[in-house]
Amino acid sequence: MAVAVGKRRQARGLGSERAREALVGYGFIALPMAFFLLFFIFPVGYAFYISRYDWQIFKGDFVGWGNYRQLWHDTVFWHHAVRNTLVYTVFVVPLQMTLGLTLAVVVNQAIRFRTFFRAAFYFPSLAASAAIASIATYILASDGLFNTVLNHLGYHHNNAWFGEQSTALPSIIGLNAWTTSGTMMLFYLASLQAIPVDVYEAAAIDGAGAWRTFWKVTFPLLKPGHFFVLVVSIIGALQMFDQAFLIGGASGGPNYSTMTVVLYLYNQSIKNISFGYGAAIGVVLFVFIFTVTVVQRLLFGKAEVA
Amino acid sequence: MATEQLPPIPPVVAPRELAVDGEAAKGTPPTTTGIPGRERGERIRTAIAYAVMFLVAALFAIPFLWSVSTSFRTLADTVAGFSLLPKHWTLSGYHEAFHTFNFGRYTLNSAIIAAAITISNLLLASLGGYAFARLKFPGREVLFFLVLGTLMIPDQLRLVPIYLMLVNWLPGWVGHLGLHDVSFVNRNGVILIQLVSATSLFLMRQYFLTIPRDLEEAAKLDGAGYFKTYRKVMLPLAGPALAAVAILQFQGAWNGLFWPAILLQDQSQYTIPIGIANFRFAYQTLWPPLMAASVLAIVPILVLFILFQRYFVAGVASAGVKG
Repeated sequence: MAVAVGKRRQARGLGSERAREALVGYGFIALPMAFFLLFFIFPVGYAFYISRYDWQIFKGDFVGWGNYRQLWHDTVFWHHAVRNTLVYTVFVVPLQMTLGLTLAVVVNQAIRFRTFFRAAFYFPSLAASAAIASIATYILASDGLFNTVLNHLGYHHNNAWFGEQSTALPSIIGLNAWTTSGTMMLFYLASLQAIPVDVYEAAAIDGAGAWRTFWKVTFPLLKPGHFFVLVVSIIGALQMFDQAFLIGGASGGPNYSTMTVVLYLYNQSIKNISFGYGAAIGVVLFVFIFTVTVVQRLLFGKAEVA
Repeated sequence: MATEQLPPIPPVVAPRELAVDGEAAKGTPPTTTGIPGRERGERIRTAIAYAVMFLVAALFAIPFLWSVSTSFRTLADTVAGFSLLPKHWTLSGYHEAFHTFNFGRYTLNSAIIAAAITISNLLLASLGGYAFARLKFPGREVLFFLVLGTLMIPDQLRLVPIYLMLVNWLPGWVGHLGLHDVSFVNRNGVILIQLVSATSLFLMRQYFLTIPRDLEEAAKLDGAGYFKTYRKVMLPLAGPALAAVAILQFQGAWNGLFWPAILLQDQSQYTIPIGIANFRFAYQTLWPPLMAASVLAIVPILVLFILFQRYFVAGVASAGVKG
């Protein structure tokens, strides 16, 4: 049987064999491609389409740029969602990068238990955000572990850190700098290990100390790594949702202090059932993130980590 | 090639490389003990590094240990002043979480969703990855570029269109297939929209590219077709990549919050994260069961991580940084 098939195949020649291979190829990618087209590519256009309608539960009138105009004048969006997201980004990104780089440099030393430390530092990035957020709420509660420690140190703070308008967002910034630092560490570790060993040897022969070697040799050579981590951090920060949702709830409490752009998008679409308006927020956020990526690429050149 | 203009692709390391050299740190700065007068400075440096690492590791561990400790406390114990360990060890936190607050059900839901997403990712990504790596067909580069392009599309943009598609269109489509009254604003939807990810497909393709062609040629000479080659030759060799995909997807789905928050509206369908979110708002300071639920959410991933650390690292970037 196999012989017969083989002969027939040969008889049909190279051309049909190629056609067969192509056909099989299309068959293999058919399901994944259909999935990507339906649930990724198509929704981009559909989102824009929806955003041009007054779409509540059912599709309503065509309103052109109406939703975008409304968004332009939406004070909750600008004064709370956008403002909080930007504040969050401006603070959390440098924190994440500094922490990530520090951890990476430390665990990159030729040192015992290196694997264990890497694992320990990376694990918070893997744990469920819901679990981390509830643990944080518990520790930062009014009578929680953190305040207990502070009181022992002579600094009296008796409010829940997530419960007050002035401390809620900064607490989330601290929390997320911690949980994401492990991921940043791994990114930096990858680019640290891409630095050739002889560069360090040359620095050592020149008599440069560890501190000087880091700032004069390692840090500048990490430029592609910095760029990559920066882009990833900023995009991640602009999309912050989990902690705001878990800690402040869908309304971003207390008093909108934890309202972020994505939470507002969720709030408008799912809670308020304003699909047209929600879609418009999604489009604006997408355009913004896209622009950030493009601008960063123009400023910093191509990321070479990949 | 088309991939030149792509957004920064996550630095996915070929899983086999990781499997082979494991933690071998190629670029680790050499110790400079050969240079006279350096030894003492070197030793001090090492000591400081150790001290910093232990301190930071301890700081990182404290929140987790504290939650474990609290999960074994009585409620009264949580407000009775500071103590490192529970005054009276009890399982009532876990008992309440499971029986009173339904976390047994939520755990099952999480497991079902995570398992379904993992299996379908393995299947679809390995099929697609094999085709993109090995089979020649017109438009292959463009289509692959399209797949990677989906990494640029944020979930937030997809929220409204996908929600409306799941509500308005899919039940009708499935109805044509004879399945009536199927809803997608539930577990079905959560699974459906995560059937395969570009990252999984990318990982599989990259790995298949590293497998020598001789084996396939041999299979071909034996008269094996493409599917047989895929199943009998390629898949068995792709173990490390399959493991990386499985672990990544399982972890992502198990921890997932965004899509479940949108699509799981009936309590019987909640996953652990959604259960935790709702519990927090309903019961505020009922700490022992909440900490028990959190431990429940964390432990499976911790176990996986301890067993398969290297595969987690292989796909680290894919998960990106979700806030």
